[in-house]
Amino acid sequence: MMSGGYTSIDNQKVSGSVPAVSDPSHVAVKFTDSNLQTFPPSGAQGKISGGTQPPHDADDTFSKPAGGSQPGSGEPQGSGWFRTFTIAAYKPYFDVDTSDIIDRLKESLFPFRGTFTEKTATNPDLYGPFWICTTLIFVAASIGTFVTYIAHKLKKKEWDYDINLVTWSAGVFYGYVTVVPLILYVILKYFSAPSGLVQLFCLYGYSLFVFIPALCLSVVPLEIFRWVIAGVAGFMSATFVALNLKAHINSAGERWFLIVTGIFLLQLALAVVLKLYLFTVTV
Amino acid sequence: MALRDWDLWGPFFFIVFLGLTLSWSASVKKSEVFAVAFALLAAGAVILTLNVLLLGGHIVFFQSLSLLGYCLFPLDVGALICMMENNVILKMIVVCVTLAWSSWAAYPFMSSAVNLSRKALALYPVFLMYVSVGFLTIAID
Repeated sequence: MMSGGYTSIDNQKVSGSVPAVSDPSHVAVKFTDSNLQTFPPSGAQGKISGGTQPPHDADDTFSKPAGGSQPGSGEPQGSGWFRTFTIAAYKPYFDVDTSDIIDRLKESLFPFRGTFTEKTATNPDLYGPFWICTTLIFVAASIGTFVTYIAHKLKKKEWDYDINLVTWSAGVFYGYVTVVPLILYVILKYFSAPSGLVQLFCLYGYSLFVFIPALCLSVVPLEIFRWVIAGVAGFMSATFVALNLKAHINSAGERWFLIVTGIFLLQLALAVVLKLYLFTVTV
Repeated sequence: MALRDWDLWGPFFFIVFLGLTLSWSASVKKSEVFAVAFALLAAGAVILTLNVLLLGGHIVFFQSLSLLGYCLFPLDVGALICMMENNVILKMIVVCVTLAWSSWAAYPFMSSAVNLSRKALALYPVFLMYVSVGFLTIAID
């Protein structure tokens, strides 16, 4: 609503905050003029009664800072920490096709190439690690169950299904792929050779792929054969992680050898633990 | 189409029924068997749906949960039959048939939801979940 105060501005069409420019050389002067005109003296501003009441809509546009005058600007996507709980935050890590996944799986079977980290540096994915772990849990539980079943039936003993195999292997695999890369990430940051956390998850996830065929082969009831399989699989997996990491952290100084050896032994230990728990059958 | 009228009562009933059947069939640790079966199926349905969404597929979250739950019906029937039978070979045949039926029911929905180049990535977890449930059905006696 326009008040009498506006009519004293000389001949300008005041629309919003930009006055109509009729004379370019006088723009600046006229603009400050119009500002002064729309704010009556502060004494009268608070009073509702009286001659010049500031027009409400003009007051809104002139008195509020620029941000308030754009109600339609839209919000950015939520506040900072909420974003970790949206799906959109994780979509970039699942941007892979079937052929990519198959390529990476094949890559993990050849530990001595050491090119895995280069290939996944720009597009690490979390699909592979998660589903490899889940498949491993299922394979480990079923093979472990099958092995004890056969052993009991061969000796004509009673056998009951042990559901704890499922929960135990879930804990081991998910825990290993989650906790070890986290610790490694912290250690690498400490030694100033930082690697992306998702790349580490990716590396560890794919390194477990070789255990799937190894577990399937371990059904053969020869003890020495099982140890050989466990050893070979553990060695391949550990070499995969160690060589791919070594290429990355060579710049960390003299500590790299310790770190790489540590990871290597840890992966071997995982293989041994698997073999002992799943395939030690006491009938 | 019928998918728009999704509901969660059906899936809830089927999951609980499957858990109960497996729990009845178990001779030891009955409550743990029920807990694992229920958790596996419920969490599995949610994770499968999230998997499709993350791969860039276009599905509605609850529609997918509803469909995956209803597709458990053949496995329910299979579990019921296996509870009453004791022959391992027969159990394997029954489970294989019902598993194929469940997968065949869930396949069109899942495969149409994602890009053609990622179809296998979306379908494999469905297959994995049904196979693991089938395995539980055979193993528990």
